[in-house]
Amino acid sequence: MTDMKKKKLDSATVISIVIVLALYVAVFIAEQFIPATSMLFTVIKKGATYALVAVSMNLLNGFTGIFSLGQAGFMLIGAYVYGIFTIPVVSRMDVYQYYNGGLVQFTLPVFVAMLLSGLAAAFLALLIGLPVLRLKSDYLAIATLGFAEIIRALFQWDKLGPITNGSNMLRLFPNFNDFNIRNANGDVVVYLSTLVPLLIAGVCIFVIILLINSTYGRALRSIKDDEIAAEAMGIRLASHKRLAFCISSFFAGVGGAMLAMYQTTVQAKSFTTAMTYEILLIVVIGGIGSVTGSCLSSFLFVACSEWWLRFLDQKQVIGDFEVPLLRNGFRLVVFSIIIMIVVLFFRQGIMGRKELPDLIRQLQGKKVGGGASK
Amino acid sequence: MSENVLHIDHLTMRFGGVVAVNDLSMDINRGEIVALIGPNGAGKTTAFNMVTGVYTPTSGKITLMGQDITGRRPDEITKLGIARTFQNIRLFSSMTVFENVLTARHLRRTSNFLSATFRLNAAEEKRMRQETEALLKEVGLFELRDEMATSLPYGKQRLLEIARALSTQPKVLLLDEPAAGMNPQETEELGAFIKLIKDKFDLTVFLIEHHMNLVMDISDRIYVIDFGKQIAQGTPSEVQNDPAVIAAYLGVDEEEEVSPA
Amino acid sequence: MWNTVFPYLLSGISVGGQYALIAIGYTMVYGILRLINFAHGDVFMVAGIIMVYMAASGVPLWLCIPLVLVLTALIGFVIERVAYKPLRTAPRMSAMISAIGVSYTLQNLVLYVTGGLNQIYPTIPWISDSVTIFGATTKMVTVITPILTIVLVVALVALINHTKIGMAMRAVSRDFETSQLMGIKINRVISTTFVIGTFLAGVASVLYFTNYTTVIQTSGAMPGLKAFVAAVFGGIGSIPGAVVGAFIIGIAENIIKGLDIILFKAGIISGPMGLATFSDAFTFALLIIILAVKPTGLFGEKITDKV
Repeated sequence: MTDMKKKKLDSATVISIVIVLALYVAVFIAEQFIPATSMLFTVIKKGATYALVAVSMNLLNGFTGIFSLGQAGFMLIGAYVYGIFTIPVVSRMDVYQYYNGGLVQFTLPVFVAMLLSGLAAAFLALLIGLPVLRLKSDYLAIATLGFAEIIRALFQWDKLGPITNGSNMLRLFPNFNDFNIRNANGDVVVYLSTLVPLLIAGVCIFVIILLINSTYGRALRSIKDDEIAAEAMGIRLASHKRLAFCISSFFAGVGGAMLAMYQTTVQAKSFTTAMTYEILLIVVIGGIGSVTGSCLSSFLFVACSEWWLRFLDQKQVIGDFEVPLLRNGFRLVVFSIIIMIVVLFFRQGIMGRKELPDLIRQLQGKKVGGGASK
Repeated sequence: MSENVLHIDHLTMRFGGVVAVNDLSMDINRGEIVALIGPNGAGKTTAFNMVTGVYTPTSGKITLMGQDITGRRPDEITKLGIARTFQNIRLFSSMTVFENVLTARHLRRTSNFLSATFRLNAAEEKRMRQETEALLKEVGLFELRDEMATSLPYGKQRLLEIARALSTQPKVLLLDEPAAGMNPQETEELGAFIKLIKDKFDLTVFLIEHHMNLVMDISDRIYVIDFGKQIAQGTPSEVQNDPAVIAAYLGVDEEEEVSPA
Repeated sequence: MWNTVFPYLLSGISVGGQYALIAIGYTMVYGILRLINFAHGDVFMVAGIIMVYMAASGVPLWLCIPLVLVLTALIGFVIERVAYKPLRTAPRMSAMISAIGVSYTLQNLVLYVTGGLNQIYPTIPWISDSVTIFGATTKMVTVITPILTIVLVVALVALINHTKIGMAMRAVSRDFETSQLMGIKINRVISTTFVIGTFLAGVASVLYFTNYTTVIQTSGAMPGLKAFVAAVFGGIGSIPGAVVGAFIIGIAENIIKGLDIILFKAGIISGPMGLATFSDAFTFALLIIILAVKPTGLFGEKITDKV
C-alpha cells in the first residue's frame, strides 16, 4: 500500500481488510474444533511472532534504509523483561533457585509486561542510537550486531543473576496457553491460545502500517531513497532515524515477549546473531520494503521449518527404495539453497515492494503505483 | 536598493590544500534572479553546498534575511526558507510524483509521530495533500501525479525537482544547473517557467547554469567565478562585455558554452 | 603477578595472530569491494572441517595441510564467483545479504555433514607438542602463530607492493571504476584477493583448531566477527592495521578471561566477579568505541561522500 490516494479507502484496501479479518475468524473457528496439538497452531503462533519481528526489521532495513543487525538483542530485552515481571511470586523461589528467589518480588499483568518489554527495548535503542545511527551502512550493521552481543553477555552475567537469573533459564511465566478460557474444573471452554498471539501481532503490524503510511512514514522512505535529498527537503535525518530505530526496537521487544511465551522459557544464550540472520533472511525472502511479504514469508518459513519440510530430516522409505540424502539437517540445506536462489536471482523476494492491496488492484486490472523497480 | 535576502560574506572553503571557494561575497535581493557562473570546477556547486549547509565553510558568513545560517544543518536551513535542486537529479525513487512533492511538505508539519500514526492529524494531512495537488497543477505535473518519479522523462524530472523544492515553501530557491541535459526548446520553456514561479511564489532565485542563453535571458544580475574567486559581477550585458570574463571563461569555451546543442 | 598474567598474555598473542590471519581476508575484501564478507569466518570453519574429514579418511597429515589450504582458497574463489560477482552492480545491501546467506549455507551444510556434533581436530605432530616458556606451559602452536603471522604478513605486503597483481589490487581499492577503465582485469584482481584471503584463513584454521581441538558448524562465527572487528579497529583496508588490531583484541580478550583471577591475586577483588562472561562482549564494546571516536580506525583513511 504505497499510499492511500484518497481519504476514502479504495475497494482494494477494503477487500484486503476483509481477507485479513476472515483469516482471523477462520483461525478462531479452527481452534475450537481441531485438537490443540495440531502443528497448524504451532506454526501460527511462531509465525505470528516472527512476522512481527520481521516487519519491525523491515521498518528499519526496508523502509528507512538503516541496515541494522541488532534485532536479536532487542528481542532478548523484550523476552527478559516479560519473563522477569510475569513469573508468579510463588514460583520465583523455583526459578531463581541460585539467587534466593531473585530481587523482583511482584508480578505485572501480561499485557502491561508486554508493553514494558517494548518500552525497555525502545529505551535501549534510544541510548544505542546516539553513537550507532551516525555510522554508514555496513559499519552500522556491525555496530548493532556488536551491541546485541554485548547485551547477550550482560544478561548472562552472574552478578545480575538476582534480576536476570544469570545463565539459567527464566520459566514458569504465563504463556500462550494461559489465554485459553477455562471453567472451574480447569477444562478449556474457549480456545484462544492461537488467536490472541495472532491478534497481538496483527495489532502491532497494523500500527506499523499506519506509521509507514503517515507523513513520518513518507519521510522515512525518502531517507531510504536519498538521504541527501531528504535532508535538503528539511527532514532531520538524526531524529527520524532515531524514531525508526526506537519504534522498530519497540516491536522487536514485544516480539521477544511473544517468543518467550511461545517457547515458555527464556535463556540469553539463544538470542544469537544467527537469530538475527534468520529474521533478515525472512525479510529478504518476503521482499525488502513489503509488510505483506514479511508476514507471508514468516509463516512460510516457520511452516516449512516446523512442519512441511520436516520429512527432509528423517529417513524416508518408499516401497523398497530409501530416498538418499535425507537425514538430520537436510531441511536446513534445502532452506539455504532456496535462500541463496532468492538472494541471487529473485532479489525482489515474494512481494517486491508490493502489498496486498496492490495485488488486488492488479487483479482488478488497475495500475499499481509502488511497483517493483529493478 | 531593495531588501537583502541572502548575504554571502567572504566565504572560503578549503579541502585539504585545495581552495574550492576563495573569499566569495555576494548579495541577493528579494525578487531577484541571480546567476552564479564560471567554468567547470570553478567552485559553484561548492558555494551552493555551503549555502545549503552540506559543507561548513572554512571561513566567512552566510546570512538569510539577517539571520546567520553559517554551518547550520541542511534541514534547518531548508526550514528557514532555502530550498534547492540538484545537479544530478535526486528524486525519491520509490515514490510517485505526488508523494515526492508531498514528502517535501513534511517539514511544515505540526503533528508528532504518534498523532500522525494514529491519524489524529487528519486535517493537516488533508491540507498537505490539497496543497500538493494545487502545486502540481501550478507546475503542470498534475496529470502525471501517480507516475513513479523516476519513470518520467528527463525534463519532467527536473521540473519535479523544482516542484518538490517549492513544496518546502522556500523564500529563496537554489537551482543547480536546472537546464543540464535539456534541448534549446526545453531550456527556453524552463526560463519562462522560472520567471513564472518566481512571481507566483514570491521567490528569490539563485542559480548555477551553463546554458548562457538561459542565464542572460532570465538573470537580473550575474556573478562570475573562476578558481573559486570572483572575477566579475553585474547585469548580463555588463558581464558579457567584461574582458576578464571573456578571457577566463567565454573566450575559452565560447563555442561550447554559448550555443548549447 | 607476572606469573598469573603471562599465560593469558601468551595465549592472547597466539589467538591474536590467528585473528590477524583471518582479519586480513576481511580487510582486503572490504578494501576492494566495500563488502563485509560475513561468510569469511565460516570459510575458516569449513577449512577446519575439511581437515577433520581428510585426516580421518587416511590422508597423511603432511599432505593434509597443503591440500586444506588449496581447497580453502578454492572455496573462497567459488564463493566470490557464485555469490558476489552477480551482485557487483547491485546495492551494497544486496551483497551483504548474500554474504549472510553464504554464511548460513556453509553452517547448514556442515551441520548436515557432521550431524551437528563436535568434530575432534587431528593432532598435528610438533605444533601440538607441549612447550614451556618463561615458566608457562603451552602448545608449540602458541609460540609459532605470532612468528608465522608476521612472516606471512611481510610476504603479503611485499606481494602487494612489488608485484604487478599487487599494484592492480592497490589501484582497484583506490578507485574501482577508473582502474577498470585503465584496463585492469577487475575479476582477476578480485578473485586473487579472495584466494589470498581465504588461504590465510585456512592457515589460521590449522593453528586455531590445533589449539582448541574441536570444530562445529558455529566455530567460525565468533572468530570471524572478532577478526572483522580487528580489521575495523585497525582501519579497514589497511593490512598492518588489521594485524595490530587483531593482536590487541586477542590479548585483551584473553586477559579478560583471566581477569577474575588476576584481580583476585592482585588483591583488588575479594571474590569472583564473573568478568570472563564479557570476553566476547569486550571486543564489540571496543568496536563501538572506535567507531564512535574514530570511525576510520587506527590506520584508516578518511573518505568523504560527494554531493
